Amino acid sequence: MEMNKKSSRLSKALIYVFLTVWALIVLFPFYWMILTSLKDFASYNTEYIPKFYTTNPTLQNYRDAFTAVPLGRYLLNTVIFTVATTGLMMIVIIPAAFAFARLEFRGRSLVFALFLSLMMIPTELVIITNYVTIVNWNMRNTYLGLILPSVTSIFYIYLLKENFEAIPDELYSAAKVDGTSDLKYLLRVMVPITQPTIVTIAILKVIECWNSYVWPRLITYDKNYFLVSNGIQEIRENGFGKENIPAMMAAVVVISVPLIVLFLVFRKKIMAGVSRGGTKG
Amino acid sequence: MSRRKILSLALALTLTLPLLSACHGSRTRQGFTIPDTFDGSKTINLVFWAKNDTNKNQTAVYRQAIDDFQKIYPNVTIDMRLYADYGRIYQDVITNISTDTTPNICITYPDHIATYLTGDNVVTPLDGLIHDEKFGLGGTEVRFDAPKPEEMVPEFMEECKIGETTYAIPFMRSTEALYINQDFVEKLGYKVPDILTWDFIWEVSEKAMEKNEDGTFKLNGQNVLIPFIYKSTDNMMISMLKQLNAPYSSEDGEVLIFTDTTRALLEEIYTHAKSRAFSTFAVSSYPGNFLNAGQCVFALDSTAGATWMGSKAPMMDIHKEQVVDFTTVVRPIPQFNPDHPQMISQGPSVCIFQKTDAQEVLASWLFVQYLVSNDIQLGYAETEGYLPVTLKASESAEYRDYVSRKGEDNSEHYNIKIDASELLRAHTADTFTTPVFNGSASLRSAAGQMVENVTKSARRKEAISDEYFTKLFNDVTSLYRLDQIGKAGEEAADTSMKELPGETKALLIAIPAIWIVIGAVQLVQLKKNRKKKEN
Amino acid sequence: MKKNNLKAWLYLLPAILFLGVFMVYPLIDVCVYSVEENYNFARQSYTGIGLENFRHVLSDPYFVQALKNTFLIVIITVPLSTGLSLLIALGLSSIKPLKNLYQTIYFLPYVTNTLAVGLVFMILFKNTEYSQAMVNLLITKFGGTGVDFIEGPYWAKMFVMCFYTIWVVMPSQILILTSALASVNQDYYKAARVDGASSGRIFRKITLPMISPTVFYLIITGFIGAFKAYSDEVALFGTNLNAAGMNTIVGYVYDMLYGDSGGFPGYAAAAALVLFAIVFTITYINLAMSKNKVQYM
Repeated sequence: MEMNKKSSRLSKALIYVFLTVWALIVLFPFYWMILTSLKDFASYNTEYIPKFYTTNPTLQNYRDAFTAVPLGRYLLNTVIFTVATTGLMMIVIIPAAFAFARLEFRGRSLVFALFLSLMMIPTELVIITNYVTIVNWNMRNTYLGLILPSVTSIFYIYLLKENFEAIPDELYSAAKVDGTSDLKYLLRVMVPITQPTIVTIAILKVIECWNSYVWPRLITYDKNYFLVSNGIQEIRENGFGKENIPAMMAAVVVISVPLIVLFLVFRKKIMAGVSRGGTKG
Repeated sequence: MSRRKILSLALALTLTLPLLSACHGSRTRQGFTIPDTFDGSKTINLVFWAKNDTNKNQTAVYRQAIDDFQKIYPNVTIDMRLYADYGRIYQDVITNISTDTTPNICITYPDHIATYLTGDNVVTPLDGLIHDEKFGLGGTEVRFDAPKPEEMVPEFMEECKIGETTYAIPFMRSTEALYINQDFVEKLGYKVPDILTWDFIWEVSEKAMEKNEDGTFKLNGQNVLIPFIYKSTDNMMISMLKQLNAPYSSEDGEVLIFTDTTRALLEEIYTHAKSRAFSTFAVSSYPGNFLNAGQCVFALDSTAGATWMGSKAPMMDIHKEQVVDFTTVVRPIPQFNPDHPQMISQGPSVCIFQKTDAQEVLASWLFVQYLVSNDIQLGYAETEGYLPVTLKASESAEYRDYVSRKGEDNSEHYNIKIDASELLRAHTADTFTTPVFNGSASLRSAAGQMVENVTKSARRKEAISDEYFTKLFNDVTSLYRLDQIGKAGEEAADTSMKELPGETKALLIAIPAIWIVIGAVQLVQLKKNRKKKEN
Repeated sequence: MKKNNLKAWLYLLPAILFLGVFMVYPLIDVCVYSVEENYNFARQSYTGIGLENFRHVLSDPYFVQALKNTFLIVIITVPLSTGLSLLIALGLSSIKPLKNLYQTIYFLPYVTNTLAVGLVFMILFKNTEYSQAMVNLLITKFGGTGVDFIEGPYWAKMFVMCFYTIWVVMPSQILILTSALASVNQDYYKAARVDGASSGRIFRKITLPMISPTVFYLIITGFIGAFKAYSDEVALFGTNLNAAGMNTIVGYVYDMLYGDSGGFPGYAAAAALVLFAIVFTITYINLAMSKNKVQYM
């Protein structure tokens, strides 16, 4: 027993060391970002050798970030865009993943293979054609124009399909015996079981929308429809004569906070291991 | 799904491709004829894309221009969109040509217009408009005081011609200038001449590299000193070649830049980059920052950068504590032949895009005219070391007064700024531009790229040789596709099979090979399955 | 096993609609562009139909360079990031105290704007006139000689690139793996421990197979994502990637779309199709391998 305790303590310690090292590597750029956001613009520019600390921290950059550009409005736009896109996406991918995972139909493998192959198309490629489409539909500077092309993500259909497939067949057969329709089965059984994954997907999509840059930049030029990423670029380019990096960092910190909060709130749901045992006994 | 179905689907797709390609044909656009009257009752919305130098004063001038113009022509509203650099404007215009959503008025460079012109009737030709009796420059029906054609600076108007047709109106003009720390030059034992030569500037820069025992520089007692920094390497190469009358490009788009002269110039630059006496903006940083901190002797930038130069510069990126006090003098760029100085002419021009509604185009033209009226010219020119493009403005009493009050303060009448614009005014006849054709922008970037590469190689202590230059010329040619622009591009494309490089050959063999293997494995699987079923 | 044709297609309809308009149609458009020779956005016309675009792209040295870079990035970052993520996810699932803290920290990179983070990385790794990069300072403290990671030799640039890519990609991988690990039925573990199985055995016989679909998903999507690398490069090296020798295939496509002489959708399309062919092949291989290895309990 003694040996076991020692070796398990040692391995635990090693695990902690390993986790801490990587945590530091992850944290350092953030530390740098927050540090920079607290540095005075002038003193930031005069630092020949980057300093790890600042002698007179200031909140001026945060004030600048909100006044130089209407960051509040951009945040609102981003929220609208994100919520709508994520919501729409759920409506689209849950049935689709179900179809691939559970329903037998002709051409299933082929269609799935086609979907997968679409996943390999880089956005840079489709962006010009989508721009032409949106212009032709007169949707520049509208929420719809921002949302529609961003709704579907095949990555998540694929992930969800894998998760759906992992649910044992017996559950399905049992439900069928009870006379449950496919839709009810999907909504009442499968979705709750895969809740960790669904929440994960939702969060990943939210973050994707939150940081989306190239597409909004292309189709909106009316400031009322700008997203936060446009805002950051604006600060970067128009900051008081040159790149106002500290203000930009301040904006980035502000923008990241809602996402961190979101993650913290939903973390339990993601981590909650829902027992898949429904067919025990 | 059966294989036959897949195959037939694929076949159908490949056959329809050529049909679909018809969708990419050009939209026909109409030419422009000047209407008889300007319809003041029709509501017109114009879109104006401007470059924003991150100078709030300049943005204010644009806004004032729009407000005033909208008062004079109440049926017109103008939406302005600001861009941080010309490259983005160019990209967006190109994207919007295909959707017919180009702006009405756009600040641009003739190089870019040459590319827009490859489509039919994209940009409106302006000769007819300029000389029209009613609506031309200073015409009878123009509701504000606008310059007449002869009141425009002729050199600047010439620059906006592509071939024989005028496609743009100059908006502001600048040139490049040397901003010199006079104290440093004298400390080194030299006097700043009226016109510097390249030999002079190299000599002084090298002398400035002397160091103390502790590693600091003798000249400024600091750890950092880069005596000569050139901001725009494009202009550097172009100007040097022009001064030597060496080939760069021809009017009809021949690329002539890869000569021994170019090589000799690059070798000279290499020597000084190696000793760190010379550097560029891309490698080091903005010259003004170094100059103001006493870490540079010769800072070379556009006259439109004058407000950033000098101890008392109104615009600065560095902290006050780092600024060193010194006397700044402004001179033309270094010359090979001081008796016949030549310097580049640059600065934004304005063009208008063709639209179906002739009234819209006319309104755009009127706004362009407004941009060259005195108030706007003076307002904008005074924000930086620009020169107004109209004699009407630069010879006006107001402008003369502005110039005479040089040094009164360190903002509107900042002496370096006024020195810079006066330099251009004095040397207007010595300015030149490079030939404009589709792809001239690429050639210009290529010229600059060579200087950058040589500088970087010098810093990395790479050796230069014949092979180096052959590789450099080849790299730059492919990087900017110089063998396809201008004249070379218009000649029938060389369809002789160029040798495909090894890597792509490998790729072309590997992929089909892999699929053959996959196909074979599948076949084997199928056979196995059939056997299983049979058993 | 009923055939649910109509129902299935109905369930798939929204997805097909969106994908059709915003992915399939552009893809066809791209294919069309790729065979139109000398098409030019400004000119809005082309000189003929043929394979000239492909020939041009395949013999362009910058495309070859981009090809090499992309392959390198893929080969280095995918195994490393997936492996590291797995280790971390396992480590996380085996500790109790501070677990939440670590999870939040690891997730941070994902939450922040990549443009900003790229800038920070660039600052950390770039030598300026005034001082060595922060990283170089650290290296010299430990007795080595600093190297210019942003402007210097190719291997240094590649190192920063891969390091940054892994750094950026790991959070979502850790998240997905953690939720996969959490979904594993605890009963299996209890049973195994009652049987007295060692941790190593538990891992190999229970954990790994149970999360193998997820692992393969990460590998497949990791490959695909790495092939599409571009914006990370720009964050580190600026937009003139060709000059830095660090262009990727997608970067090449993008450059072609906005060329100095009017935009060459033809070349962009050809390059994109080549990329597509490569990625399709590799994904197919991955999928086939995963079918063999993945087990559903």
